[in-house]
Amino acid sequence: MAPPSDQDGSNIVRPFAFFRAGARTDPNSPQKPILVLEDVYKYHRPDMPTLRGVNLVVERGEFLFVTGSSGAGKSTLLQLVYRAQTVDEGRILFCGREIDRLTDQSIPFLRRNLGIVFQDFKIVPHWTVFENVAIALEILSMPRRLVRSRVSEALDRVGLAGRGDERTEKLSGGEQQRVAIARAIVTEPALILADEPTGNLDPHLAVDILTLFEEINATGTTVIFATHDHSLISKRNHRIISIEEGRAVEARAGLRGWSGRVQSAAG
Amino acid sequence: MELKTVVSRAKRGFREDLRLYLVAVSSLAVAFLCLAGALLAIDNMSVLADQWGTSRRMTVYLRDGAALKDVEELRVLLEGLPGVERAGYVSSAEARRKFLEQADLGGDLAALPADAFPASLEVELLSGVAVQRLEDVSARVARFGVVEDVETYRSWFTQLESLVETGRGVAGALALLVILCALAVVGNTIRLAIAGRRSEIEVMKLCGATDAFVRWPFVVEGAVQGFAAAALALLVLTVSYVALRSDIDATVASFTGVRTVFLHPASLVALLLGGGVMGAIGSVFSVRRYLAI
Repeated sequence: MAPPSDQDGSNIVRPFAFFRAGARTDPNSPQKPILVLEDVYKYHRPDMPTLRGVNLVVERGEFLFVTGSSGAGKSTLLQLVYRAQTVDEGRILFCGREIDRLTDQSIPFLRRNLGIVFQDFKIVPHWTVFENVAIALEILSMPRRLVRSRVSEALDRVGLAGRGDERTEKLSGGEQQRVAIARAIVTEPALILADEPTGNLDPHLAVDILTLFEEINATGTTVIFATHDHSLISKRNHRIISIEEGRAVEARAGLRGWSGRVQSAAG
Repeated sequence: MELKTVVSRAKRGFREDLRLYLVAVSSLAVAFLCLAGALLAIDNMSVLADQWGTSRRMTVYLRDGAALKDVEELRVLLEGLPGVERAGYVSSAEARRKFLEQADLGGDLAALPADAFPASLEVELLSGVAVQRLEDVSARVARFGVVEDVETYRSWFTQLESLVETGRGVAGALALLVILCALAVVGNTIRLAIAGRRSEIEVMKLCGATDAFVRWPFVVEGAVQGFAAAALALLVLTVSYVALRSDIDATVASFTGVRTVFLHPASLVALLLGGGVMGAIGSVFSVRRYLAI
Protein backbone atom coordinates (compact mmCIF):
# COMPACT_ATOMS: atom_id res chain seq x y z
CA MET A 1 0.00 0.00 0.00
CA ALA A 2 1.50 3.28 -1.04
CA PRO A 3 1.67 6.07 1.46
CA PRO A 4 -0.76 8.90 0.76
CA SER A 5 0.54 11.60 -1.48
CA ASP A 6 0.10 15.32 -1.39
CA GLN A 7 -1.37 15.38 -4.89
CA ASP A 8 -4.82 16.24 -3.59
CA GLY A 9 -3.49 19.16 -1.67
CA SER A 10 -3.62 17.40 1.68
CA ASN A 11 -0.62 16.19 3.60
CA ILE A 12 -2.55 15.42 6.75
CA VAL A 13 -2.16 11.64 6.87
CA ARG A 14 1.42 10.81 7.75
CA PRO A 15 1.73 7.08 8.40
CA PHE A 16 5.38 7.25 9.34
CA ALA A 17 5.59 10.67 10.91
CA PHE A 18 4.21 9.01 13.91
CA PHE A 19 3.77 9.31 17.62
CA ARG A 20 3.45 13.02 17.77
CA ALA A 21 2.92 15.93 15.47
CA GLY A 22 6.20 17.33 14.25
CA ALA A 23 8.23 14.20 15.04
CA ARG A 24 11.05 13.57 12.60
CA THR A 25 11.03 10.37 10.66
CA ASP A 26 13.94 8.03 11.23
CA PRO A 27 15.61 7.80 7.78
CA ASN A 28 16.56 4.19 8.48
CA SER A 29 13.06 3.11 9.49
CA PRO A 30 12.19 1.43 6.16
CA GLN A 31 15.02 -1.03 6.75
CA LYS A 32 14.06 -1.83 10.33
CA PRO A 33 11.55 -4.49 11.40
CA ILE A 34 8.17 -2.91 11.96
CA LEU A 35 7.75 -4.46 15.39
CA VAL A 36 10.22 -5.85 17.87
CA LEU A 37 9.46 -7.30 21.30
CA GLU A 38 12.52 -7.76 23.48
CA ASP A 39 12.25 -9.96 26.56
CA VAL A 40 8.79 -8.65 27.36
CA TYR A 41 7.16 -9.51 30.67
CA LYS A 42 3.66 -8.64 31.69
CA TYR A 43 2.33 -9.51 35.12
CA HIS A 44 -1.35 -9.48 35.94
CA ARG A 45 -0.55 -11.48 39.09
CA PRO A 46 2.83 -11.14 40.75
CA ASP A 47 3.48 -14.88 40.89
CA MET A 48 2.16 -15.71 37.43
CA PRO A 49 3.22 -13.51 34.51
CA THR A 50 0.87 -13.50 31.52
CA LEU A 51 3.85 -12.98 29.25
CA ARG A 52 7.32 -14.09 30.28
CA GLY A 53 10.33 -13.12 28.26
CA VAL A 54 8.57 -12.77 24.92
CA ASN A 55 10.92 -12.07 22.02
CA LEU A 56 9.44 -11.39 18.63
CA VAL A 57 10.44 -9.67 15.43
CA VAL A 58 7.83 -8.79 12.82
CA GLU A 59 9.13 -7.69 9.44
CA ARG A 60 7.43 -5.17 7.21
CA GLY A 61 4.76 -6.59 4.97
CA GLU A 62 4.55 -9.82 6.98
CA PHE A 63 1.36 -11.71 7.81
CA LEU A 64 1.71 -13.25 11.25
CA PHE A 65 -0.65 -15.51 13.10
CA VAL A 66 -0.54 -15.31 16.89
CA THR A 67 -2.26 -18.27 18.45
CA GLY A 68 -2.69 -19.89 21.82
CA SER A 69 -5.47 -21.09 24.03
CA SER A 70 -7.99 -18.67 25.55
CA GLY A 71 -6.29 -16.61 28.24
CA ALA A 72 -2.82 -17.45 26.92
CA GLY A 73 -1.96 -13.78 26.46
CA LYS A 74 -2.65 -13.09 22.77
CA SER A 75 -4.81 -10.08 23.48
CA THR A 76 -2.40 -8.86 26.14
CA LEU A 77 0.41 -8.97 23.61
CA LEU A 78 -1.58 -6.87 21.15
CA GLN A 79 -2.71 -4.48 23.86
CA LEU A 80 0.92 -3.86 24.76
CA VAL A 81 1.52 -2.85 21.15
CA TYR A 82 -1.29 -0.29 21.02
CA ARG A 83 -0.49 0.82 24.58
CA ALA A 84 -3.76 -0.16 26.21
CA GLN A 85 -1.37 -1.80 28.69
CA THR A 86 2.26 -1.20 29.50
CA VAL A 87 5.06 -3.75 29.72
CA ASP A 88 6.45 -4.59 33.15
CA GLU A 89 9.86 -5.65 31.86
CA GLY A 90 11.52 -5.57 28.46
CA ARG A 91 10.63 -3.25 25.62
CA ILE A 92 8.59 -3.02 22.46
CA LEU A 93 9.83 -1.12 19.43
CA PHE A 94 7.41 -0.02 16.73
CA CYS A 95 9.24 1.30 13.67
CA GLY A 96 12.28 1.70 15.90
CA ARG A 97 10.47 3.73 18.57
CA GLU A 98 10.06 2.36 22.07
CA ILE A 99 6.35 2.28 22.77
CA ASP A 100 6.59 2.30 26.54
CA ARG A 101 8.56 5.51 26.58
CA LEU A 102 5.76 7.39 24.88
CA THR A 103 3.98 9.98 26.95
CA ASP A 104 0.22 9.74 27.34
CA GLN A 105 -0.12 12.62 24.88
CA SER A 106 1.80 10.64 22.24
CA ILE A 107 -0.29 7.47 22.44
CA PRO A 108 -2.98 8.77 20.02
CA PHE A 109 -0.26 9.38 17.45
CA LEU A 110 0.97 5.80 17.88
CA ARG A 111 -2.55 4.48 17.33
CA ARG A 112 -2.98 6.54 14.17
CA ASN A 113 -0.29 4.33 12.68
CA LEU A 114 -2.13 1.16 13.68
CA GLY A 115 -5.35 -0.40 12.49
CA ILE A 116 -7.01 -2.36 15.26
CA VAL A 117 -9.77 -4.92 14.71
CA PHE A 118 -11.54 -6.68 17.58
CA GLN A 119 -13.59 -9.79 18.08
CA ASP A 120 -16.56 -7.69 19.24
CA PHE A 121 -16.04 -5.28 16.29
CA LYS A 122 -16.06 -2.15 18.49
CA ILE A 123 -18.17 -0.16 16.12
CA VAL A 124 -20.84 2.35 17.13
CA PRO A 125 -24.13 0.61 16.34
CA HIS A 126 -26.27 3.73 15.93
CA TRP A 127 -23.86 5.33 13.51
CA THR A 128 -24.02 4.69 9.80
CA VAL A 129 -21.41 2.57 8.07
CA PHE A 130 -19.91 5.74 6.63
CA GLU A 131 -19.68 7.44 10.03
CA ASN A 132 -18.04 4.42 11.61
CA VAL A 133 -15.30 4.40 8.99
CA ALA A 134 -14.99 8.16 8.60
CA ILE A 135 -14.27 8.73 12.29
CA ALA A 136 -10.72 7.44 11.79
CA LEU A 137 -10.14 10.17 9.20
CA GLU A 138 -11.99 12.89 11.08
CA ILE A 139 -9.53 12.33 13.91
CA LEU A 140 -6.80 13.26 11.43
CA SER A 141 -8.69 16.48 10.55
CA MET A 142 -8.92 15.37 6.94
CA PRO A 143 -11.07 17.54 4.65
CA ARG A 144 -14.58 16.18 4.14
CA ARG A 145 -14.21 15.75 0.41
CA LEU A 146 -11.19 13.57 0.95
CA VAL A 147 -12.90 11.69 3.76
CA ARG A 148 -15.76 10.79 1.44
CA SER A 149 -13.51 9.45 -1.27
CA ARG A 150 -11.24 7.52 1.13
CA VAL A 151 -14.18 5.96 2.99
CA SER A 152 -15.81 5.01 -0.29
CA GLU A 153 -12.57 3.35 -1.39
CA ALA A 154 -12.20 1.47 1.91
CA LEU A 155 -15.80 0.22 1.79
CA ASP A 156 -15.22 -0.92 -1.75
CA ARG A 157 -12.18 -2.92 -0.62
CA VAL A 158 -14.12 -4.73 2.13
CA GLY A 159 -17.10 -5.46 -0.11
CA LEU A 160 -19.49 -2.88 1.28
CA ALA A 161 -19.53 -0.48 -1.65
CA GLY A 162 -22.63 1.72 -1.74
CA ARG A 163 -23.76 0.81 1.77
CA GLY A 164 -22.37 3.81 3.60
CA ASP A 165 -25.77 5.18 4.56
CA GLU A 166 -26.97 2.03 6.31
CA ARG A 167 -27.06 1.95 10.07
CA THR A 168 -24.42 -0.44 11.32
CA GLU A 169 -26.69 -2.16 13.83
CA LYS A 170 -28.78 -3.48 10.95
CA LEU A 171 -25.84 -5.31 9.37
CA SER A 172 -24.94 -8.97 9.89
CA GLY A 173 -21.99 -9.93 12.09
CA GLY A 174 -19.74 -10.52 9.10
CA GLU A 175 -20.69 -7.16 7.60
CA GLN A 176 -20.10 -5.38 10.89
CA GLN A 177 -16.64 -6.89 11.04
CA ARG A 178 -16.02 -5.66 7.50
CA VAL A 179 -16.97 -2.16 8.67
CA ALA A 180 -14.41 -2.49 11.47
CA ILE A 181 -11.79 -3.64 8.96
CA ALA A 182 -12.64 -0.74 6.65
CA ARG A 183 -12.12 1.63 9.59
CA ALA A 184 -8.78 -0.05 10.32
CA ILE A 185 -7.47 0.29 6.77
CA VAL A 186 -8.92 3.64 5.78
CA THR A 187 -5.99 5.54 7.29
CA GLU A 188 -3.55 3.21 5.49
CA PRO A 189 -1.75 2.23 8.68
CA ALA A 190 1.65 0.62 8.85
CA LEU A 191 0.43 -2.28 10.96
CA ILE A 192 -2.92 -3.95 11.49
CA LEU A 193 -3.60 -5.73 14.78
CA ALA A 194 -6.51 -8.14 14.55
CA ASP A 195 -7.54 -9.54 17.93
CA GLU A 196 -9.68 -12.65 17.32
CA PRO A 197 -11.49 -10.89 14.44
CA THR A 198 -13.29 -14.10 13.46
CA GLY A 199 -14.22 -15.15 16.99
CA ASN A 200 -17.86 -14.11 16.63
CA LEU A 201 -18.32 -15.36 13.07
CA ASP A 202 -19.32 -18.70 11.61
CA PRO A 203 -16.58 -20.73 9.83
CA HIS A 204 -17.19 -19.68 6.22
CA LEU A 205 -17.44 -16.01 7.18
CA ALA A 206 -14.23 -16.46 9.18
CA VAL A 207 -12.44 -17.62 6.05
CA ASP A 208 -13.85 -14.65 4.11
CA ILE A 209 -12.54 -12.25 6.73
CA LEU A 210 -9.16 -13.98 6.80
CA THR A 211 -9.01 -13.67 3.02
CA LEU A 212 -9.82 -10.00 3.31
CA PHE A 213 -6.90 -9.51 5.71
CA GLU A 214 -4.65 -11.37 3.29
CA GLU A 215 -5.72 -9.06 0.48
CA ILE A 216 -4.86 -6.10 2.67
CA ASN A 217 -1.52 -7.71 3.49
CA ALA A 218 -0.88 -8.23 -0.22
CA THR A 219 -0.87 -4.45 -0.68
CA GLY A 220 2.04 -4.17 1.75
CA THR A 221 0.38 -3.68 5.11
CA THR A 222 1.78 -5.76 7.95
CA VAL A 223 -0.91 -7.84 9.66
CA ILE A 224 -0.79 -9.56 13.05
CA PHE A 225 -3.78 -11.85 13.28
CA ALA A 226 -4.48 -13.32 16.72
CA THR A 227 -6.77 -16.34 16.82
CA HIS A 228 -7.19 -19.54 18.79
CA ASP A 229 -8.90 -21.18 15.80
CA HIS A 230 -6.41 -23.76 14.52
CA SER A 231 -8.73 -24.81 11.70
CA LEU A 232 -8.39 -21.29 10.31
CA ILE A 233 -4.61 -21.22 10.72
CA SER A 234 -4.21 -24.61 9.08
CA LYS A 235 -5.81 -23.29 5.90
CA ARG A 236 -2.95 -20.84 5.32
CA ASN A 237 0.78 -20.95 5.15
CA HIS A 238 1.77 -17.90 7.19
CA ARG A 239 4.26 -17.66 9.99
CA ILE A 240 2.78 -18.63 13.34
CA ILE A 241 3.65 -17.58 16.87
CA SER A 242 2.05 -19.52 19.65
CA ILE A 243 1.78 -18.15 23.17
CA GLU A 244 2.32 -21.03 25.55
CA GLU A 245 2.72 -20.56 29.27
CA GLY A 246 3.48 -16.92 28.62
CA ARG A 247 6.29 -17.62 26.15
CA ALA A 248 6.21 -17.04 22.39
CA VAL A 249 7.14 -20.11 20.40
CA GLU A 250 7.31 -20.30 16.64
CA ALA A 251 6.18 -22.61 13.85
CA ARG A 252 7.54 -20.88 10.79
CA ALA A 253 5.75 -22.76 8.03
CA GLY A 254 2.23 -22.70 9.34
CA LEU A 255 0.41 -25.70 10.71
CA ARG A 256 0.33 -27.75 7.53
CA GLY A 257 3.74 -29.16 8.15
CA TRP A 258 3.76 -28.58 11.88
CA SER A 259 4.18 -31.67 13.99
CA GLY A 260 2.86 -29.88 17.03
CA ARG A 261 6.29 -29.47 18.61
CA VAL A 262 7.63 -26.01 19.02
CA GLN A 263 10.99 -25.17 17.54
CA SER A 264 12.48 -22.29 19.43
CA ALA A 265 11.74 -18.95 20.95
CA ALA A 266 10.57 -16.52 18.34
CA GLY A 267 12.72 -13.77 17.03
CA MET B 1 -9.18 20.13 15.96
CA GLU B 2 -11.33 22.44 13.88
CA LEU B 3 -14.25 24.26 15.44
CA LYS B 4 -16.41 23.09 12.56
CA THR B 5 -15.69 19.45 13.41
CA VAL B 6 -16.41 20.06 17.10
CA VAL B 7 -19.74 21.72 16.32
CA SER B 8 -20.79 19.11 13.77
CA ARG B 9 -19.98 16.27 16.20
CA ALA B 10 -21.82 18.07 19.00
CA LYS B 11 -24.83 18.48 16.69
CA ARG B 12 -24.70 14.80 15.89
CA GLY B 13 -24.65 14.07 19.63
CA PHE B 14 -27.77 16.20 20.12
CA ARG B 15 -29.54 14.46 17.24
CA GLU B 16 -28.75 11.00 18.52
CA ASP B 17 -29.67 11.61 22.15
CA LEU B 18 -32.37 14.21 21.69
CA ARG B 19 -34.76 12.64 24.18
CA LEU B 20 -32.06 12.26 26.83
CA TYR B 21 -31.01 15.86 26.29
CA LEU B 22 -34.57 17.10 26.66
CA VAL B 23 -34.84 15.24 29.96
CA ALA B 24 -31.46 16.61 31.02
CA VAL B 25 -32.38 20.19 30.12
CA SER B 26 -35.67 19.86 32.03
CA SER B 27 -33.89 18.54 35.12
CA LEU B 28 -31.27 21.25 34.92
CA ALA B 29 -33.96 23.89 34.38
CA VAL B 30 -35.57 22.91 37.70
CA ALA B 31 -32.23 23.37 39.45
CA PHE B 32 -31.67 26.72 37.75
CA LEU B 33 -35.21 27.80 38.56
CA CYS B 34 -34.48 27.24 42.25
CA LEU B 35 -31.27 29.20 41.88
CA ALA B 36 -32.93 32.06 40.02
CA GLY B 37 -35.73 32.07 42.60
CA ALA B 38 -33.21 32.33 45.42
CA LEU B 39 -31.46 35.21 43.61
CA LEU B 40 -34.80 36.94 43.12
CA ALA B 41 -35.47 36.64 46.84
CA ILE B 42 -32.02 38.07 47.61
CA ASP B 43 -32.55 40.98 45.21
CA ASN B 44 -35.88 41.85 46.80
CA MET B 45 -34.43 41.50 50.29
CA SER B 46 -31.70 43.92 49.25
CA VAL B 47 -34.20 46.43 47.93
CA LEU B 48 -36.16 46.10 51.16
CA ALA B 49 -33.06 46.52 53.26
CA ASP B 50 -31.94 49.54 51.26
CA GLN B 51 -35.36 51.12 51.50
CA TRP B 52 -35.80 50.53 55.21
CA GLY B 53 -32.20 51.13 56.03
CA THR B 54 -32.35 54.62 54.56
CA SER B 55 -35.83 55.52 55.86
CA ARG B 56 -35.14 58.25 58.39
CA ARG B 57 -38.31 59.79 59.54
CA MET B 58 -39.71 61.09 62.73
CA THR B 59 -43.23 61.80 63.97
CA VAL B 60 -43.76 64.65 66.42
CA TYR B 61 -47.08 64.10 68.21
CA LEU B 62 -48.72 67.33 69.33
CA ARG B 63 -50.66 67.96 72.48
CA ASP B 64 -54.44 68.24 72.17
CA GLY B 65 -55.47 71.80 71.66
CA ALA B 66 -52.03 73.01 70.59
CA ALA B 67 -52.31 76.40 68.93
CA LEU B 68 -51.81 76.27 65.18
CA LYS B 69 -49.52 79.28 65.36
CA ASP B 70 -47.18 77.46 67.76
CA VAL B 71 -47.34 74.38 65.60
CA GLU B 72 -46.44 76.39 62.51
CA GLU B 73 -43.49 77.98 64.32
CA LEU B 74 -42.29 74.55 65.32
CA ARG B 75 -42.67 73.29 61.73
CA VAL B 76 -40.64 76.18 60.33
CA LEU B 77 -38.00 75.63 62.97
CA LEU B 78 -37.78 71.97 62.16
CA GLU B 79 -37.41 72.61 58.44
CA GLY B 80 -34.56 74.96 59.22
CA LEU B 81 -32.59 72.29 61.05
CA PRO B 82 -29.66 70.69 59.24
CA GLY B 83 -30.52 67.20 58.00
CA VAL B 84 -34.26 67.84 57.86
CA GLU B 85 -35.74 67.70 54.40
CA ARG B 86 -39.35 68.43 55.11
CA ALA B 87 -41.79 68.78 57.96
CA GLY B 88 -45.54 68.53 57.32
CA TYR B 89 -48.54 69.06 59.57
CA VAL B 90 -51.04 66.20 59.82
CA SER B 91 -54.31 67.01 61.55
CA SER B 92 -56.27 64.49 63.65
CA ALA B 93 -58.84 64.01 60.88
CA GLU B 94 -56.17 63.52 58.27
CA ALA B 95 -54.34 61.03 60.49
CA ARG B 96 -57.56 59.05 60.93
CA ARG B 97 -58.25 59.02 57.20
CA LYS B 98 -54.72 57.86 56.37
CA PHE B 99 -54.83 55.16 58.98
CA LEU B 100 -58.09 53.78 57.67
CA GLU B 101 -56.78 53.92 54.07
CA GLN B 102 -53.50 52.19 54.78
CA ALA B 103 -54.90 49.63 57.15
CA ASP B 104 -57.68 48.80 54.71
CA LEU B 105 -59.88 48.01 57.69
CA GLY B 106 -63.52 48.70 58.11
CA GLY B 107 -66.04 47.89 60.79
CA ASP B 108 -65.30 48.89 64.36
CA LEU B 109 -62.11 50.85 63.71
CA ALA B 110 -63.87 53.02 61.16
CA ALA B 111 -66.11 54.19 63.96
CA LEU B 112 -63.19 55.65 65.92
CA PRO B 113 -63.45 59.44 66.36
CA ALA B 114 -60.82 61.77 64.99
CA ASP B 115 -59.82 62.62 68.57
CA ALA B 116 -58.34 59.16 68.89
CA PHE B 117 -55.64 60.20 66.40
CA PRO B 118 -53.38 62.99 67.67
CA ALA B 119 -52.28 65.70 65.28
CA SER B 120 -48.61 65.48 64.38
CA LEU B 121 -45.72 66.86 62.41
CA GLU B 122 -44.26 64.29 60.04
CA VAL B 123 -40.56 65.03 59.66
CA GLU B 124 -38.55 63.58 56.77
CA LEU B 125 -34.82 63.68 57.09
CA LEU B 126 -32.28 63.74 54.31
CA SER B 127 -30.95 60.35 53.31
CA GLY B 128 -27.68 59.48 54.97
CA VAL B 129 -28.49 61.32 58.19
CA ALA B 130 -26.76 59.58 61.09
CA VAL B 131 -28.83 57.90 63.77
CA GLN B 132 -27.17 60.11 66.39
CA ARG B 133 -28.30 63.25 64.54
CA LEU B 134 -31.83 61.91 64.51
CA GLU B 135 -31.67 61.39 68.26
CA ASP B 136 -30.34 64.93 68.80
CA VAL B 137 -33.17 66.46 66.80
CA SER B 138 -35.66 64.30 68.64
CA ALA B 139 -34.39 65.39 72.08
CA ARG B 140 -34.42 69.05 71.08
CA VAL B 141 -37.96 68.94 69.70
CA ALA B 142 -39.29 67.09 72.76
CA ARG B 143 -38.59 70.15 74.90
CA PHE B 144 -41.22 72.24 73.10
CA GLY B 145 -44.44 72.77 75.05
CA VAL B 146 -46.74 71.77 72.19
CA VAL B 147 -45.01 68.43 71.81
CA GLU B 148 -46.60 65.44 73.49
CA ASP B 149 -44.16 62.78 72.26
CA VAL B 150 -41.56 62.12 69.56
CA GLU B 151 -41.36 58.82 67.70
CA THR B 152 -38.11 58.12 65.80
CA TYR B 153 -38.97 54.49 64.96
CA ARG B 154 -35.37 53.64 65.78
CA SER B 155 -36.08 50.35 67.56
CA TRP B 156 -38.58 49.43 64.84
CA PHE B 157 -36.04 50.02 62.10
CA THR B 158 -33.35 48.22 64.03
CA GLN B 159 -35.53 45.16 64.32
CA LEU B 160 -36.54 45.29 60.68
CA GLU B 161 -32.97 45.72 59.54
CA SER B 162 -31.96 42.76 61.62
CA LEU B 163 -34.81 40.76 60.09
CA VAL B 164 -33.80 41.76 56.57
CA GLU B 165 -30.17 40.88 57.24
CA THR B 166 -31.23 37.47 58.50
CA GLY B 167 -33.39 37.02 55.41
CA ARG B 168 -30.47 38.01 53.21
CA GLY B 169 -28.26 35.49 54.93
CA VAL B 170 -30.83 32.72 54.57
CA ALA B 171 -31.38 33.54 50.90
CA GLY B 172 -27.61 33.63 50.35
CA ALA B 173 -27.16 30.22 52.01
CA LEU B 174 -30.06 28.90 49.98
CA ALA B 175 -28.46 30.21 46.79
CA LEU B 176 -25.19 28.52 47.70
CA LEU B 177 -27.01 25.27 48.38
CA VAL B 178 -28.87 25.55 45.10
CA ILE B 179 -25.62 26.23 43.23
CA LEU B 180 -24.13 23.06 44.71
CA CYS B 181 -27.28 21.10 43.85
CA ALA B 182 -27.28 22.54 40.34
CA LEU B 183 -23.63 21.52 39.91
CA ALA B 184 -24.44 18.00 41.11
CA VAL B 185 -27.47 17.76 38.81
CA VAL B 186 -25.53 19.12 35.85
CA GLY B 187 -22.63 16.74 36.49
CA ASN B 188 -24.82 13.67 36.97
CA THR B 189 -27.08 14.43 34.04
CA ILE B 190 -24.19 14.91 31.67
CA ARG B 191 -22.44 11.87 33.14
CA LEU B 192 -25.52 9.82 32.30
CA ALA B 193 -25.55 11.17 28.76
CA ILE B 194 -21.87 10.43 28.33
CA ALA B 195 -22.12 6.96 29.87
CA GLY B 196 -24.54 6.08 27.09
CA ARG B 197 -21.91 7.05 24.55
CA ARG B 198 -18.83 5.46 26.06
CA SER B 199 -18.60 3.04 23.12
CA GLU B 200 -18.10 6.06 20.85
CA ILE B 201 -15.36 7.35 23.11
CA GLU B 202 -13.67 3.95 23.17
CA VAL B 203 -13.79 3.72 19.38
CA MET B 204 -12.36 7.20 18.97
CA LYS B 205 -9.57 6.57 21.46
CA LEU B 206 -8.61 3.32 19.74
CA CYS B 207 -8.52 5.14 16.40
CA GLY B 208 -6.02 7.62 17.81
CA ALA B 209 -8.23 10.46 18.97
CA THR B 210 -6.62 12.85 21.41
CA ASP B 211 -8.39 13.63 24.67
CA ALA B 212 -9.23 17.07 23.30
CA PHE B 213 -10.85 15.57 20.19
CA VAL B 214 -13.09 13.41 22.38
CA ARG B 215 -13.74 16.01 25.04
CA TRP B 216 -14.61 19.20 23.14
CA PRO B 217 -17.86 18.10 21.50
CA PHE B 218 -19.09 16.91 24.89
CA VAL B 219 -18.05 20.23 26.43
CA VAL B 220 -20.02 22.09 23.74
CA GLU B 221 -23.01 19.82 24.32
CA GLY B 222 -22.78 20.38 28.08
CA ALA B 223 -22.51 24.15 27.65
CA VAL B 224 -25.52 24.24 25.34
CA GLN B 225 -27.51 22.09 27.77
CA GLY B 226 -26.60 24.36 30.68
CA PHE B 227 -27.40 27.51 28.71
CA ALA B 228 -30.71 26.12 27.45
CA ALA B 229 -31.67 24.99 30.95
CA ALA B 230 -30.86 28.42 32.41
CA ALA B 231 -32.82 30.13 29.62
CA LEU B 232 -35.80 27.85 30.22
CA ALA B 233 -35.65 28.49 33.97
CA LEU B 234 -35.54 32.26 33.44
CA LEU B 235 -38.44 32.07 31.02
CA VAL B 236 -40.53 30.19 33.58
CA LEU B 237 -39.48 32.61 36.32
CA THR B 238 -40.31 35.66 34.17
CA VAL B 239 -43.73 34.35 33.21
CA SER B 240 -44.47 33.43 36.83
CA TYR B 241 -43.27 36.83 38.05
CA VAL B 242 -45.38 38.73 35.56
CA ALA B 243 -48.41 36.63 36.41
CA LEU B 244 -48.03 36.94 40.19
CA ARG B 245 -46.55 40.39 40.52
CA SER B 246 -49.77 42.33 41.04
CA ASP B 247 -50.96 39.89 43.70
CA ILE B 248 -47.62 39.97 45.51
CA ASP B 249 -47.45 43.74 45.41
CA ALA B 250 -51.02 43.97 46.74
CA THR B 251 -50.21 41.81 49.75
CA VAL B 252 -46.52 41.95 50.63
CA ALA B 253 -45.91 45.47 49.44
CA SER B 254 -48.73 46.84 51.60
CA PHE B 255 -46.81 45.59 54.64
CA THR B 256 -43.33 46.48 53.53
CA GLY B 257 -44.02 49.60 51.54
CA VAL B 258 -41.67 48.30 48.85
CA ARG B 259 -42.71 46.99 45.46
CA THR B 260 -41.12 43.78 44.22
CA VAL B 261 -38.35 43.98 41.64
CA PHE B 262 -37.26 41.39 39.05
CA LEU B 263 -33.70 40.16 38.61
CA HIS B 264 -31.19 42.74 37.44
CA PRO B 265 -30.17 42.28 33.78
CA ALA B 266 -26.63 41.54 34.96
CA SER B 267 -28.00 38.68 37.08
CA LEU B 268 -29.88 37.35 34.05
CA VAL B 269 -26.76 37.40 31.91
CA ALA B 270 -24.72 35.84 34.75
CA LEU B 271 -27.28 33.05 35.10
CA LEU B 272 -27.27 32.29 31.39
CA LEU B 273 -23.49 32.34 31.14
CA GLY B 274 -23.18 30.49 34.44
CA GLY B 275 -25.49 27.79 33.09
CA GLY B 276 -23.27 27.36 30.06
CA VAL B 277 -20.10 27.32 32.12
CA MET B 278 -21.52 24.86 34.65
CA GLY B 279 -22.63 22.57 31.83
CA ALA B 280 -19.19 22.74 30.25
CA ILE B 281 -17.41 22.05 33.54
CA GLY B 282 -19.80 19.17 34.29
CA SER B 283 -18.95 17.66 30.91
CA VAL B 284 -15.20 18.01 31.44
CA PHE B 285 -15.39 16.09 34.71
CA SER B 286 -17.86 13.51 33.41
CA VAL B 287 -15.95 12.67 30.26
CA ARG B 288 -12.62 12.45 32.04
CA ARG B 289 -13.32 9.03 33.51
CA TYR B 290 -13.87 7.52 30.05
CA LEU B 291 -10.71 8.91 28.50
CA ALA B 292 -8.34 6.40 30.10
CA ILE B 293 -8.40 3.82 27.32
